[in-house]
Amino acid sequence: MRSRLRPMTAGYGEASPKRDVDPGARRRILVAEARVPGVRDGAELHARSLVAELRKRGHDAERVALPFHATKSELLAQACAWRMLNLSSSNARPVDVLIATRFPTWFARHPCKIAWLMHQHRPAYELFGTPYSDFTASDDDTRLRREIIDLDSRMLGECERIVTNAQNTADRLQRFNNISARPLYHPPPLADRLRDGAYGDYVLVVARLEPLKRVDLAIRAMAHVPAPIRLVIVGDGSQRAALEREAAESGAGNRIEFAGAVWGEAVASLYADALAVIYAPFDEDYGYVTLEAFLASKPVITAADSGGPLEFVVDGTNGFVCEPDARAMAAAVGRVAADRALAERLGRAGRAVARAITWDGVIEQLLG
Amino acid sequence: MTSLRVLILEAQVPFVHGGAEILVRELAGALTARGHDAGIVSVPFRDYPKEELFAGAEAWRLLDVTQAAGRDVDLVIATKFPTYFARHPRKVLWLVHQHRAAYELCGTRFSDFSHSERDVALRRRLIDIDTRMLGECVGHFTIAKTVSERLLKYNAIQSEALYNPPKLANRLRSGPFGDYVLTVTRLEHVKRVDLAIDAFEKAATSVRLVIAGDGSARQELSEYIDRRGLRDRVTLLGRVDDDQLIELYSECLAVLFAPYQEDYGYVTLESFLSRKPVITARDSGGPLEFVTDGVNGCVCDPTPESLAAAVNQLASDPSHAAALGDRGYDVARGITWDHVVDRLVGAARAATTVGAGA
Repeated sequence: MRSRLRPMTAGYGEASPKRDVDPGARRRILVAEARVPGVRDGAELHARSLVAELRKRGHDAERVALPFHATKSELLAQACAWRMLNLSSSNARPVDVLIATRFPTWFARHPCKIAWLMHQHRPAYELFGTPYSDFTASDDDTRLRREIIDLDSRMLGECERIVTNAQNTADRLQRFNNISARPLYHPPPLADRLRDGAYGDYVLVVARLEPLKRVDLAIRAMAHVPAPIRLVIVGDGSQRAALEREAAESGAGNRIEFAGAVWGEAVASLYADALAVIYAPFDEDYGYVTLEAFLASKPVITAADSGGPLEFVVDGTNGFVCEPDARAMAAAVGRVAADRALAERLGRAGRAVARAITWDGVIEQLLG
Repeated sequence: MTSLRVLILEAQVPFVHGGAEILVRELAGALTARGHDAGIVSVPFRDYPKEELFAGAEAWRLLDVTQAAGRDVDLVIATKFPTYFARHPRKVLWLVHQHRAAYELCGTRFSDFSHSERDVALRRRLIDIDTRMLGECVGHFTIAKTVSERLLKYNAIQSEALYNPPKLANRLRSGPFGDYVLTVTRLEHVKRVDLAIDAFEKAATSVRLVIAGDGSARQELSEYIDRRGLRDRVTLLGRVDDDQLIELYSECLAVLFAPYQEDYGYVTLESFLSRKPVITARDSGGPLEFVTDGVNGCVCDPTPESLAAAVNQLASDPSHAAALGDRGYDVARGITWDHVVDRLVGAARAATTVGAGA
C-alpha cells in the first residue's frame, strides 16, 4: 500500500493556481468529504454549509465525497482511493483550492490543499486504549496505527495551510503529528433558525445516539432531577434501543422522551423552549450543540472531559462544567430548574459568545 | 428481498452538470418511489492526462460499496467508466458509456488517443480491463441500442437496451400545430445545427425554425444565420427553462433533430410525448431507435434538400403531422421507469437466487 502511495505525485508539476490570485477573486473550490453512506452527521453538515457559504460569496464551490467505512481493514484502501484522485483540475479547467476536512480526504492530490481539519481517524489516535476504539495492542494493530499516523503527517504536510475546527483538534494534531494549527470556529448549521423562547420544563439533549456521545449520563441524571422537569432526547443511532431500555429502568422513564432524528425547524423550536441543554460527550472535537444552545440563549451543562464544549462553556458564566457523573449533572439541572432567571442570564452570556463566530470571518481566514 | 438497499455509482466531473447526472438522480427517485432504499455514490473523475484514467479506475476498485450505514447493500448499479470497477457480488450494469475517447471516438477529432504505439497499447489495456470489469456484472443493460452495439463490438458483451423516460415526461402536453419547427439541442458542432439552418433556406417560407439551447457554437451560428439572410426565418432562443420548453414543444409543427451519431437523445421522446412528429437523419443514431419514416416522423438524408422536403410536406398537411405525432406518442408512452426498475432489480434478484441455490 505504501509503495503505491509514494509515487503518486502527478498534479504537483502543474502550475499552482494559488499564485497571483487576488484574495477577493472568484475561485473554483472543491470541498472534500468522507461520507458514511446513509448517515447524516456533523461532518456532512459542515461540508454542506461550507459549500453554501462559499457560493453565497461568489465562489464556484462543489463537494466531492467518497464513501467511508470505519472498518480497520478498509482504512488504508480508502486512503489509497483518495490518493488516486487528482483534483488539480476538472474538465480541463484548474480547480484553485481543495479544502480537505477529515481522514482520508487530505490524501487527494492537489497543488493547493487547505486542510480544515475536523478530525483524523480517532480510533487510531486518542481513542486508542478506550472502549471507543477497535484498535487493540496487537502487533498488527500497532503497525496499522503507526502507518496511519505517519501517512497523515505526510499528507497533511503537503497542505498549503492547516486550520482545525476546534482547539481540541489542534492539540491532538500537535501531540500526535507534531503539526501546529489554529482553530477556526464556524457557526452551526442551524444558526439562522435559532431563537430564544420560554425557559420551559425540560432539558434537551441533541446527539447521535452513539457511545461517544454519552447520552446515558443525562438519562441517569434524571433519577436525581425533581419532577416536573423532563428530558427530551433528539437524535437516533446504534444505541437507541439500549438507551430506551436504560430510560425505562431509570425510575424517571415517564419524564424521558425520545424524539428521534428531527431536523431544522423542529429542533430549533425544541431549543427555543428548553430550560437548558445537556451536552456531555466524551472528548468531543467541536460539537455544534454548544453553539446551537447558546444561539437559543440556553445554558449548557457539560462535563470536564467533554473536550470541545469546554472551549466555550465557562462554569457559572454561561453554563456548568460538571464531573462526568449523573449526580453532578442532576445538581446543575436542579440549579436552573430552581432559578429561571439564572438560566436566562447564563444563556444570554452564551449567546454573546456564539454570535461572534461568523462565516465571513471563517472564509476570510480559510482562503487567506 | 422485497425492498432493496441500492447504491447507484456515478462518475462525477466537478463543476460540470449534464445528462448522466440527471439520469442517476431520476433513477434514484424511481427506485425510492417503488419502495427501495436508494443512494448515490459519486467519485470525481478526470480523463487527462490519460494515465489518470487508470488511477480513477483504481480508486473505484479500492472502495467498499458492499455496506452502507452498517447494513449490506443488495445491489449496486454501475453507469459510466470507471464506476463498473467497483466490487460487489450483485453489480448490475446500466451503461451510459465507456470512456468513448478510447473506443469509437478514437481516430476522430473528439479523442486524445492517437495511433502512436504508446496510445494504442494504452487503449488496448483499457479495453481489456474494461471487458473484465464489465464481465463481473450480473446483469448487462445499456441506455440505448447504440451503446449495446458498441459493447458487443469492442467488449464482446451482449446487453439489453433499457430506455428511460425523459425528465419532463409527466409534464409534456400537446397543443395546436403552429407555424414553426423546433430544434432542441446544445449548440455544438456534433449536433449539426447548421444542417437544420441550411434546410430552412430551402423550406417553404411560411414556416420558421426555432432553436432552443445554448453552447460553444452559439455566436458562430448566429453569424451564420445573418450571412444567409435567414434572420426572420430562424430564431436562436438560447437556453430556455422547463416551462418555456414544454410550451415550445406543445405548439410546434414538428421537431427537427438530426445530430450526428447521438447515443440516445431525449429530444425524440419529448417530442413524441408532445404528440409531435420527429424529422431526423439516417446517420443520427439514437433517434432512429424510435423514429420510423412515414409512421411517426421522417427519416431523411443528412442534406438540406431532404430535410426541407420533409418540413414542406408537414407544413402543407398539419393533419398528417398530427397523425404521425399520435403514433409517436404511443411509442414514447411505452417507455417507463417501472420497466427500467423491474429489469435492473430483476437481474439482482436472479443473481441472488442462483447464489442461494449453489
